[in-house]
Amino acid sequence: MTALSAAALHEGVPPRNVLTRRDHSGDSVIGADVVVVGSGAGGATLAAELAEAGFDVVIVEDGSYYQTRDFTADSSAMTRQLYREGGASMAIGCPPIFYQEGRAVGGSTVINGGMSWRTPDEVLARWDHALGLSGIARELEPCFERVERRIHVAAMDAEAIGNDNLLLKRGADAKGWKVIGNLRNQAHCVGSNRCAFGCPTGAKQSALVTYVPRALHYGARVYADVHVDRITRDGTRATGVIGTVAGSRHRIVVRAKLVVAACGAIHTPALLARSGFRSPSGQLGRNLALHPNVKLVAIFDEDVTGWRGVHQAFQVREFQDQGLLFAAVNLPPSILAMSFPHRGAALGRLMQHYDRMVLAGVLCADTTTGRVRTINGRPQAFYQLADADAANLQRGVSLLSELLFAAGARRILLPFHGAAELHGPDDARRLLGLAIPARGWEVVSVHVMGTARMGNDARTAVTSSVGLVHGADRLMVADASVLPTPLGVNPMETIMALATRSAGHVIDNAARFLR
Amino acid sequence: MATAIAYRHSHTTRQVLRSLVPVICPPEADALGEAIVEHMALTLAAGPAVLRGGFAAGLVAYDLGALAHYARRARALRGELAERYYASWERGPTSMHVQLARGINQLMSLACYEQPAMMERLGYRPAPWITEVKQRRLTVYHDDVRRQALQILAPDPLRPGVRVKQGV
Repeated sequence: MTALSAAALHEGVPPRNVLTRRDHSGDSVIGADVVVVGSGAGGATLAAELAEAGFDVVIVEDGSYYQTRDFTADSSAMTRQLYREGGASMAIGCPPIFYQEGRAVGGSTVINGGMSWRTPDEVLARWDHALGLSGIARELEPCFERVERRIHVAAMDAEAIGNDNLLLKRGADAKGWKVIGNLRNQAHCVGSNRCAFGCPTGAKQSALVTYVPRALHYGARVYADVHVDRITRDGTRATGVIGTVAGSRHRIVVRAKLVVAACGAIHTPALLARSGFRSPSGQLGRNLALHPNVKLVAIFDEDVTGWRGVHQAFQVREFQDQGLLFAAVNLPPSILAMSFPHRGAALGRLMQHYDRMVLAGVLCADTTTGRVRTINGRPQAFYQLADADAANLQRGVSLLSELLFAAGARRILLPFHGAAELHGPDDARRLLGLAIPARGWEVVSVHVMGTARMGNDARTAVTSSVGLVHGADRLMVADASVLPTPLGVNPMETIMALATRSAGHVIDNAARFLR
Repeated sequence: MATAIAYRHSHTTRQVLRSLVPVICPPEADALGEAIVEHMALTLAAGPAVLRGGFAAGLVAYDLGALAHYARRARALRGELAERYYASWERGPTSMHVQLARGINQLMSLACYEQPAMMERLGYRPAPWITEVKQRRLTVYHDDVRRQALQILAPDPLRPGVRVKQGV
């Protein structure tokens, strides 16, 4: 491999300023201007901006450090390594909702689909008018532009689009529904369709290959494999963090002038709570939104081979104003098999159609919220799917089924336990009248948001509009926790833009933060 | 590398799961029983502790529950009896029965189709595909890839001209 390609793939000898658990032989005490807990969309972005401005930045990451060459075709191993709790984290409710979070340097950007969308205008307008975040759209505009440049947000190369996505588009076109090419953070994605397991080609411009190397380049240090036990404080002032190196009893103490919690909407509220920070609003941990989504499987007569081609090349936006998005995804046989109720010979017969299957999903902007409680220092999510959202998902499944039949599907398997297969568009429409008990739903989430919501009123919000925690000093949140409402679209770019805006605030007020 | 929990199946768990391979997996996976059960241990090790605990307790209940109907533990049931007993949990008198049966099915199906022989039967060969497209990217899009790699590290301060350590 040439030097160029090695650099492009972010391969080679790990940088000296990345320390993993192998680099610790005892306890450590570190000083820094800023300590950032978490290295995903929010943490890595903020860390890179501050490092370039001259701050001494330390990033502490619970997960491990991997490079592009570490991402293999072994889906199971990748899931165990890159997902928190092996991807089996669960929000308690009826139905229980399994949600996925990344746990690696780069956070969930390492395992997400790479959809890069700005916050919808109507959402920003709502934040501006109803939530008192006046001027936020104008302030975020340059942040979006900056993020998009950094992570190379671009349309897909046509030759990389696989047949599963072409079938989705064919169905949408046949129905006359609005379908758009996804903008993704990728530099010539060639369709290995491994986004969810760490991009093995280096094309996906996750935080791991963009903001993290940038932060390192400008002097930041990354401590991987370190679980932060708590934020240290002096009264209401955050003074640093104490963590434990994975697989050891070695402690790491970071003393810093600003502490940034960026460990995601599940773990950030728990970190704050177990560190003794209480929000005057009483909202810490509340307001959990999940973008519940369900998947269905359509079987075609023609070859699909969905694993050859770009992940989610298109989104169907016809029903976006009603909170529904549709997309085609592809999953390895093992993960698909576990979603089927079939077993024995019936499972074997069904799986023989694997290369003729299109897996498609319905994402719903939720109208209810759940909560993250901190129990014995650990977070536990609780979320009860609202009847209205269940009805909306059911409608989405019906509409998406119609689309897939219009594309030529022969059979559709539904995400409801015990539900019969659909064999035509009439079946799809009849689905709307079906009473589906809540416990029969198979719902998952990959977008957890909102548990430290921002707002300028300390009585109703956990953080200010730039992420500073109300009622605390030198403590900031920079992740999906601050989103005050669900977005209805993929949240990564919004999180990065908000983190950029927060970084600007810290730089503009450097004298105060460095005191 | 993330720290994995040191988890191993108990004797009971292993025996019960082994007896369920012919019930849940397709016949073509019969010879892969040990590997499938072993793979389930890897998945459980990575999962939430509450899931591991609930799963282990549930399998003990499943094993002992067969005594009342067949005067044998579930691990000793074979063929039609094993099938009937598992199906009775799938339909379940309580949601706990249903959830456990569904959980076993999900974990075992995952483990089954993670076996290389099973993926090969479906024609699922991602590794050579990854190698092919990775090479194509670096060849066809060489210049753009290089530009993006350079852009990532190029100076582009958020507040041009501000270096905080000098400016404070």
